[in-house]
Formats: sequence, structure tokens, C-alpha cells
Amino acid sequence: MPSQRDVGFTLTFLGIIGAVATLILGLYWAPLVDPGSWNAPEAYRILYWHVPFAWSSFLAFSMLFVGAISWYRNRTDWGWRWVSTGSDLGLLFGLGVVTSGPIWGSAEWGVPWDWGDLRLNTFALLTAVAFFLVLSKKSQPDGQDTRDTLAAIGLFGFALVPITAVATTWYQERHPGVVIVNSEESGLDPQIFSVLVIGFVSFLILFVGLAILTDLVQRMESKLEQRLREIDEEVAN
Amino acid sequence: MLRISDLEVHRGNRVVLSGLELYVSSGDILALEGKNGSGKTSLIEACAGILPLTQGKVEWMTPSGEWLTVRDSEGRRSRPPLMGLTLQSDGICGEETVEERLMTSIEIFGLKPTEVAITEMLSEWGLDHRREDRVSQLSGGLTRRLSVLSGLAPVALSETPSVSLLDEPSEGLDSAARLTLSNWIGELSSRGHAIVMATHDQELISESTRIISIQSGSISETAGEGRTGLAELPSACPKVEPSPILTLAGWAFRMEKRNPVDTIGRLTPAILALLLSYTILGGIDIPRTASMSTHIGYDLVAALVLAPAFISAVVSPALVRRLSEEDCGRWWAAMLGPMARPANSVISASILLPIPLTYISWFVLSGSIPEETSDEVLKWLWLPALVIIDVSCAASALHLLVSDLRRSSAVAASLLLAVLVWPFIELMDALSVIMTSGMSLDLEIGSPLSSCILASLTAVMVWAVAVFLPEY
Repeated sequence: MPSQRDVGFTLTFLGIIGAVATLILGLYWAPLVDPGSWNAPEAYRILYWHVPFAWSSFLAFSMLFVGAISWYRNRTDWGWRWVSTGSDLGLLFGLGVVTSGPIWGSAEWGVPWDWGDLRLNTFALLTAVAFFLVLSKKSQPDGQDTRDTLAAIGLFGFALVPITAVATTWYQERHPGVVIVNSEESGLDPQIFSVLVIGFVSFLILFVGLAILTDLVQRMESKLEQRLREIDEEVAN
Repeated sequence: MLRISDLEVHRGNRVVLSGLELYVSSGDILALEGKNGSGKTSLIEACAGILPLTQGKVEWMTPSGEWLTVRDSEGRRSRPPLMGLTLQSDGICGEETVEERLMTSIEIFGLKPTEVAITEMLSEWGLDHRREDRVSQLSGGLTRRLSVLSGLAPVALSETPSVSLLDEPSEGLDSAARLTLSNWIGELSSRGHAIVMATHDQELISESTRIISIQSGSISETAGEGRTGLAELPSACPKVEPSPILTLAGWAFRMEKRNPVDTIGRLTPAILALLLSYTILGGIDIPRTASMSTHIGYDLVAALVLAPAFISAVVSPALVRRLSEEDCGRWWAAMLGPMARPANSVISASILLPIPLTYISWFVLSGSIPEETSDEVLKWLWLPALVIIDVSCAASALHLLVSDLRRSSAVAASLLLAVLVWPFIELMDALSVIMTSGMSLDLEIGSPLSSCILASLTAVMVWAVAVFLPEY
């Protein structure tokens, strides 16, 4: 049976290959969207990465949320590992969303940021929370109190979602925002749909691979810490 | 007087205390001994209700004889009854004077000591000649004396039997202070009070009535020799209904009055923002760019008018930094119980500055605004400025949340403060509408009043999440 490490590396490798393939197909194979409906039809191609980034970061933030609840309720070790993995991957994929989004927004809307857009702002705030957690995990001594505070901040991130939703919804009433894509009415071109599906699957595989590797690193760090403590006790005796 | 049931405390992946049962009775002198990292401090802090528990509960007996759950693993918390507490790292802010610190530790439980009693206690501990000095000016040994005295004094002045929790009380004390400590402990015990102390001091251990050895998370108990009282303690003083939050507010006010770093720390960036805004607006002809239909121009003016107050509101409060000194915040957390965080977040917020700052900002920046518009704005500017106080409370709560981390200076709180951009945008919108269309008391979406209410609600929601979530 392959080890956790081998599975993690293999999936990560396959995910990267798939993501690169998505990029190439999106740039050279997928058809151009209707120039009459879009301000910057060429720029839409960035969505082949932007949307899977958003999907993966949603998975990561969900993992962070579930882990934070589990840690908070029962102080489970797996709960804390999910907080750690969720924040690491939330930062990685969230940064993908909030950098690719404004690039497309600049081309399509003429402005990189729309304060009335719920998705963009929610992802930005959650990515900021994930960034905070990643920085804090590195800089703080590990302990139950530290984990309690960071898990609370993870939950705080999720409490931001309805706050952001209310704020942006009301704000949009005065400043109608631009809807990113409204494709349900017209349906997606089969080629566009295919590339998007390849992107979803590739990023999902990449996400799972990275999650396995991150979890493995955390287990190893935990073991290393345990060994160090044993050495401390031996030295003290 | 104090009982602990099935206690389990974790530090990281390590179980520090497990399945611990302990009962403290009147007159007990209980010494907790064990190696470094064995869990002595964790047990003291768990008794004080500071530490979150993985399992079990800590209960204190109230003067009426009922058991009160101070903390349990389900998240229930209460303020402990009268107690003394000396933390391992003193728990004192350097800004306090010696006398202030002693008075605070006593008055927070509603005790009203006489001047004579305070002088007697300070004299006995060799601190009377330094009573007006700030703690930051004391040597480490004198600070430790004050910290230990503050942990013993409320118990000594109490008529009803109480418990004093002392973490390494003899650490850093000279032989004279060490003898005073022994005498006080003996005398308090003979008066029916209980002492729980974590210590490596073999003399103190031998003078205790019960010796609790902590090893690998569990405890074993042996009897000690005990000690009879030799000290002359001040007599018990009258007790009134305690108001711990007012005590904290008074303490915070005195610290700020003595060294106004909070006011200066908030005003400086606000003034800089105002000057920058003035420079920016000076280069723009507002009447020409302003449009009644799109708000462009007035949106910018509104943002710049509110920016100084907003910036002053989100600055890290000085109280948070003061509470970070030498575990001072943990001492207050024990004294206030579950009300510590809400009280700290409101007391440390910028309450006085937003309204005057916003008006000053308007006077400086409204040069090119028509007089009629200006009159309407002046009449209603207090409303968005008032909401900035809510924003400041939310920001303080977030700073407090971050300060829970042991190395809070090593993290970027600004990443969490980003959420407060929403109330700011709503307030900017409200002010812009007041400038273009005048004030309206309608509650329809987009009216200035509804925008202000929404901004306030958003700030209150952030405050509530940051204050109540970490407690459960």
C-alpha cells in the first residue's frame, strides 16, 4: 500500500499537470466569448483558473471552519490539524482568487475592485483571516490557549461571511455592482464547459494532494516536538 | 472553600493535568510542588478561572455557603468570590503606583480599607517609602513583594474565610521578605483562610499543612508540619457591593491620565490623516466635480472627513498594551471573570475623540462646500461620528482577541481589522447623502439614517463575535 507521502506527492504532481493543462486549453483551445456582451472578451480566459481557485479556497475555508468547530468543542487533534491545513490552503487558493479576480475586473469593469461585490470581498476577508492564521501559527508558541485563540479567529472569519453579505447587499442597493457571469440563461459552450470541468478536477486533485502533504508535515512536526520534549526530560534527569 | 473535580488541562499536545481531584478547606496551607513544567502554574491558573479546561470543573464556595462554578469544560464561567492572586510574572502594569496596585487588589472585591491599614501593610513589606512610585521604577525584588502582598492583602482584610492563590511567592524575595511571607501565611491560616501556593522553596513546603506533589499530570499528597501565625495583620475591613468594572474603568483612566499614550497614539495618525486630506482636497475643485446624481466628489469629501476619526478608532488601544505587561491582563481576567473581555473592549475604545475629531475635520476640509450644505452637515455630523465609537469598540475587541496570543506583537492585527471597512463605507455613504440631499429620518435603504444604523449594527456584530466567541 502506498505511503501517505507517496499519495500526497502523486496527487499534487497530477494536480499541477492538470492545472497547467487547464491554462493551456483555456488560452488556446477554448473559444472566445461573445465580444458584444463582454467589455474584454479575451480577459475572460483567466476565469479558467479563477473559478477553480475559488472552488478550492471554498473547500479550504470549509475545512478551516469544521476544524475550528471540532477543536473548539472537543479539543480534538484532528480538528487542530484541519484548522492548520485549512488556513494554509485557504491562503494559497484565496490569494489565487483575490489576485486573478482584480486582474479580470480591471479589464472587464475598468476597476480592479468593486466594494459591492459580495464574492470578491468575502474571499478577500477570509483570505486575510487565513493569512493571519498562517502568520500566527508560525510566530506563536504552540499551546492550548494559542490554539483556542486561533480557532476562535477561524470561526470569526466565518462570522464575517453573513456580515459581509448584509453589508454588500445593502451597499449594492445604492451602487449596483457588476455581476461576474450570468450564464445560466444562455448555457455554456461545450468547450468552455469541458475546460472548466478539467480545471475543477485538476484543482480538486491538487487540493487533496496538498492537504495530505500539509497534514503529513504537521504530524511530523508534532512527533518531532514530542521527541524534543523527551530529550528535555532526559537532559533534566 | 475550593474544589476541583476531574480536572484536565492541556498545553499544546501535552496533557499537563489529568483526572485531578482537589479540595481546599478552611485553614489549609497547600503547597504544590513538582518539576518545571509539571503543571503547578496551570493548576493555580485553573483555580483562578483563567485557563480553559479540557475536562472537569473548578468551584468556589461563596460566603453564603453555596458552590459557584468558576469555570468548567463546557464553557461556563463566573467571577470567583473574594480571593487573593499572585501570578508567576507579577501581573502588574509598570504604570501603576505601589499604593494604587494594592488598593486595586483590595477594592475590586468591595473592601474599603483604612489609610492606616494600607500604611501598616506597606510598612511591613518594606514598601511604604515607595508608595507613590510607579511600579516600573521598582527593582524586581520590590515588585515581587508588592505582587505577593497584593495576593495576600484582600484575604487578610476579609472577615469571611477566603483563599489566596500564590504562584512561586518566595521567588525573588530576600530573606526578610521571605520571613514576612511565612509569618503572614501562618497567621492567615490560623484565622481560617486558605493558601494555595506553587513553590520550589523547601522551607515554605515544610511549613505547609498539605503537600501536593504533581508528577506526570497526576497528584499525590503528604501532610506537612504547618506553621502558626506570627504576624500582626490588620483587622478586617468593611465590605460594600463590589463594582469590578468601575474599578477597571477607574484604573484605566488613572493610567491614561498619568501617561496619555492612548490619546496621543490616536491623535497623531488622525492629525496626519487630516493634513493629508487637506492637501488632497486642496488640489481638487469639489463643486465642479461634485454631482448630485452620482455622489462623485462628495463621496471623496465624506471619506476624507471621516478618515481621521476612523483611523483614530482602529489604532491599537494603550489599555491592550498595558494589559499585556507582565500578565497584567491575566490578573484582571481572573478578577473580572467572564466580564473581562466585554469590559476591556469598551473601556479601551476611543469614546471621546470621534465626535470632536469629525467636526474639526469638517471645519478644515469643508472650505469649498456651499454654506447651505455645510449647515445641514453641521447639524447631523454627530451621527456618523457617534457610530465611529461603535467601530472603535469593535476594533478594540479585535485587538484584545489578538492580544490573547502569547506573542501578540508577532502578529498582524490589521488583517482582521479589514472587516471594519464596511461600516466606514456605509458612514461615508450616509455623509455623502447628507451633503447632496440633506438629512432624512426615513428608514428606506440608502437613507443616511439606515446607513448609519447598518454601520452600527455591523460594528456591533463584529464586536460581539470578537468578544463572546473566545469565551465559549
